[in-house]
Amino acid sequence: MNHRLDGADAPYWQGLEQGRLLLPRCAHCARWAWPAGHRCAACGHIGVVWEERPLKATLYSWTRTWHRFGMTESLDVPYVSIVAEVADCGVRLMGRMDDPAPADPRIGEALTGRIDATLVGDDRIPAIIWSRTA
Amino acid sequence: MTSHPLYGTTAVAGVGLRQFKRGAAPLPERSLLVEAILDACAEAGLDPAEVDGFVSYGDDKNEPVRLMPDLGTRRLSYSAAVWGGGGGGIAGAFGVAAAAILSGQASAVIVFRALAEGASGRMSAAVMAHHLNDHLLAAGLVAPAQMCAIRAQRLFEHHGVNPALVEDLVRASYHHGRTNPEAVAYGQDFDIETLRTSRWIAEPFRLYDCSRENDGAGALLLVSAERARDLAKPPVYLLGCAQGAEAGWGDLMENDADDLYATGGFRAVARDLYTQTGLSPADIDCVQLYENFDAQGVMSLIDHGFCTYENAAEVIRFDNLIAQGGALPVNTAGGNLAQGFIHGIGLPIEAVRQLRGESANPVAGARTCLLAGGPGAPTVSSAIFANAVL
Ligand SMILES: [Zn+2]
Repeated sequence: MNHRLDGADAPYWQGLEQGRLLLPRCAHCARWAWPAGHRCAACGHIGVVWEERPLKATLYSWTRTWHRFGMTESLDVPYVSIVAEVADCGVRLMGRMDDPAPADPRIGEALTGRIDATLVGDDRIPAIIWSRTA
Repeated sequence: MTSHPLYGTTAVAGVGLRQFKRGAAPLPERSLLVEAILDACAEAGLDPAEVDGFVSYGDDKNEPVRLMPDLGTRRLSYSAAVWGGGGGGIAGAFGVAAAAILSGQASAVIVFRALAEGASGRMSAAVMAHHLNDHLLAAGLVAPAQMCAIRAQRLFEHHGVNPALVEDLVRASYHHGRTNPEAVAYGQDFDIETLRTSRWIAEPFRLYDCSRENDGAGALLLVSAERARDLAKPPVYLLGCAQGAEAGWGDLMENDADDLYATGGFRAVARDLYTQTGLSPADIDCVQLYENFDAQGVMSLIDHGFCTYENAAEVIRFDNLIAQGGALPVNTAGGNLAQGFIHGIGLPIEAVRQLRGESANPVAGARTCLLAGGPGAPTVSSAIFANAVL
């Protein structure tokens, strides 16, 4: 059983498994709605549609982790985690970024993503790895 | 003067604090809590069997009904907790306790937090377990330090707040801790190089930017203002309390409103608190500030109107933050960084001691003290205490 299929964001995880970024928007007023929920508070409509977005984003903020926290054993430290604002929808996603070291990531810079996974224990969690757009 | 029902109608009548090194508590967690409650009652001169209400926060594991045999509780009539896994609910717990008293549901309420590693595990892990999901795990984000680091990075890099500001807050905390016999930093001369050369945890945070956990327990006894005046210690009144979140803040997987993202989440709470009490930042004589991480302490001061992104450097200065002559004394017992960190319960206890004139770093003429809960939590809270109903 895959616990990622239990929540309102199941199509997001299924999308990543199939190599696509799917995000939810209100089926009535088309407002992007993340985290995924049940009802659009802007128009009162219940129900979302999932639309594919290209893996393009801008960097909203970042941290480079040096401490070996539990559950990060599969990641070589240091590693960079970011908040990426997906192009043309304003949805922010947490993800990882190819470390531009010795330079630092820069807020506002353009990013291109690829779909990979983060191993936590035995679980391969789909993950978006962003890198600087060349 | 305001007619708000919370204004000056309840008061802290006693406090108790037991603090030890992490993993070094000589007693089980619940026994530490019982001792802290007994201390609080003894200060007040109130029989612990008369305590009939309990309020906690931050997923405390000590269900009040289990305390009854040790305390001799005759009738437990009220037990509640503020939602949220972090320290955001600490000040809100006083609002919940006051609501119980003012509505006649309880008459003597203990606000508490107890934490010993053997019983509750690492607090940071417990806080994160409250929030963890696969979105966080996939990004390698598993600790409060990382989540707060990302917000701090935006504060510094996008909003232009000078990262060096946090050093003044840290220095002031250690300055106060140095003279407080109960503080982890007691008797130590803190050199800021210790922070600057400490190892990276998650950029922009080094080890000494982060509060480090202690074992222990703290308890505060809240009763009606009228009853407090008959007890042994001078009352420390609750003047106001606000908690919660506004639209655009909360548990939003980093999708907070753009103008709220690099804050502690207090803007609406602070606004409500000042409206409730009729007070403004200029009326606050000292601040007990929950600083899980130093940058979040800076955000908290900004949220509560003590400064802005633009003029933070003028206000957050060592000389201005210390009890000895500063206009905005902060964390006068050392705070989470230098007094010790039992999920923040030391902060309201110092607020009470400060307003009684018992602090190791007394603020001359202090009448009011603001308590700000854990910044960055989805649900946050603040309260104002005073030694007189103004
Ligand atoms: Zn809608």
